[in-house]
Amino acid sequence: MEFNKHTAEEILDSLNEGVFTVDKNFRINYFNKSAERITELKRNEVLGKFCKHVFNSKACYNECPIAIVLRQKKNIHEFESEIHCPSGVNKPIKLSAAVLYNGNEEPSGGVISFRDISDLDKIKRKLVQNSQFHGIIGHAKQMQEIYTLIEEIADSDAPVFIHGESGTGKEMIANAIQATSHRRDKPFIKINCSVFPPNLLASELFGHVKGAFTDAIKDRVGRFELANTGTIFLDEVAEMPLQMQLQLLRVLQEGTYERVGESITRKVDVRVIAATNKNIEEALAKGEFREDLFYRLNVIPIYVPPLRERMCDIAPLADHFLKKFSLMYKKNISEIDDAAMDILMNYEWKGNVRELENVLEYAFVRTPDGEKITSSKLPVSIKQKVSNKINNNSFLFNDPEKEKLIRILEKHQWNKSKAAKELGIGRTTLWRKLKKLNLVEK
Amino acid sequence: MTEMLGNQFFMARKYEDALRIFEKCKEKGELNKNIMRKMVVCYTQTGKIQEAAKMLLTLINEDLDFVLNTDPVKDDCPCSELVKEYESRLQISVESFDFLTSLGILWLYCDLNKSVCYFKKASEIYPDNSIVNSILSKLMSRQTLSEKELNNN
Repeated sequence: MEFNKHTAEEILDSLNEGVFTVDKNFRINYFNKSAERITELKRNEVLGKFCKHVFNSKACYNECPIAIVLRQKKNIHEFESEIHCPSGVNKPIKLSAAVLYNGNEEPSGGVISFRDISDLDKIKRKLVQNSQFHGIIGHAKQMQEIYTLIEEIADSDAPVFIHGESGTGKEMIANAIQATSHRRDKPFIKINCSVFPPNLLASELFGHVKGAFTDAIKDRVGRFELANTGTIFLDEVAEMPLQMQLQLLRVLQEGTYERVGESITRKVDVRVIAATNKNIEEALAKGEFREDLFYRLNVIPIYVPPLRERMCDIAPLADHFLKKFSLMYKKNISEIDDAAMDILMNYEWKGNVRELENVLEYAFVRTPDGEKITSSKLPVSIKQKVSNKINNNSFLFNDPEKEKLIRILEKHQWNKSKAAKELGIGRTTLWRKLKKLNLVEK
Repeated sequence: MTEMLGNQFFMARKYEDALRIFEKCKEKGELNKNIMRKMVVCYTQTGKIQEAAKMLLTLINEDLDFVLNTDPVKDDCPCSELVKEYESRLQISVESFDFLTSLGILWLYCDLNKSVCYFKKASEIYPDNSIVNSILSKLMSRQTLSEKELNNN
């Protein structure tokens, strides 16, 4: 395919993100279709105009993204801002900005790509309002204990080590720790240590100087430097190569590090939250994870239980996800019928909350607006696994007492006091029944 | 530090910051008519009136039309707003040389005749100021030329 201006414009017009460019005087000289849609402005109305007259935002005067890039000499991403549309609506946006250079390496313009996050913003706000603890849903005792611990450590800068299976919500726990800490208004930088090849991880974490390696064409700030005075979340920390673990240990012990290819020692003040889904004892025994680093990180350990250890959270989680999907897909589906709920309650959820969310999204998309989610809309693989389990434990669904109990408990979101009241029995009697029927949380 | 950053500061009406950047461009020999036109305004807004007059003289000697053809919207020029603000102060301010020179400079971006009027007043206070006199002479020549052209048409 020949790549000419026309092709480039077609590509830019096909993007869902708004894109516009300005010349060095900040006059708009390109505006794609999505930019028209998001801003409610027509291309021919804005071309040649100063961007401040078009966007009419306070940010144009105080924190122009291109001016930030010019000053910091570093592109910006995921920068939150707001635009004022002609309809009078203020739209929250997330944008990336970069400066364009001419042949003499002088700034000759800038490019901004942006997306409307109004819907996401609304969904996020609504879900956080309805959630129990900073967006986390969990009524189980183990989860309540985690919330208490997070509140207790709010004033501490001690490292936190979160471990739990994949999909249990370790990142949400990290978010809650940061949001309740005294560093909540400072930078919060996240990095997944498993996604970078070992040779690039050092540069990603500590930065590099120009010429440090073949692709190091200019100096680059590392994540630790970006997180200075704030918090860094090192996800999948046990995937870090041993050499890097040593460097991390030094940051934790001395608060110092060097950029790759540089001998200047830099100081940094960062609170570290680390997480892993690996069996850490096994990793320590095999020598894959340094013991000294583990003890440094594990000052405040948090274990996030898998979903199968807190089955009582399935109903509230399902409720939460249905609300989220209703907002996302603009469909009103708020209920799951008993048969479908039975299947959800008997599945093992090896992928934990993430798997539950995906299964419900699949069922939600397949269910017509205004109807209940039925078992026929659940993925076949889930139904098959549950059916095998039921065949192996045939007593499960043939037990009317158990069925009744589950139904009433679900009705009260597994609140045992309310369920016992409806059944006309004491809480202890209910607990004995649940134990007998193998329905007690581990 | 670049002209583009100076342009942004100017656009945000942060005249001191803009001037700091433009002066660096000047030091590096990167002055152009666009920068000079903005620097003149920045000088007036940071109290450096004689610097403003000096740079305006250089600019009009190079290209007077470039200043006269300034469009408040297309060129994001703040002068039409600034002159209104200055003139509202005329009632209460002492008509000092710097004040009148500032008005002469700012009016030049909007209206040649008004500019000449204020430069004349400034010149009456300090008849020996060579920069103001040179500006005035240049502007009055253009006035005469314009009038002639008008009569011929």
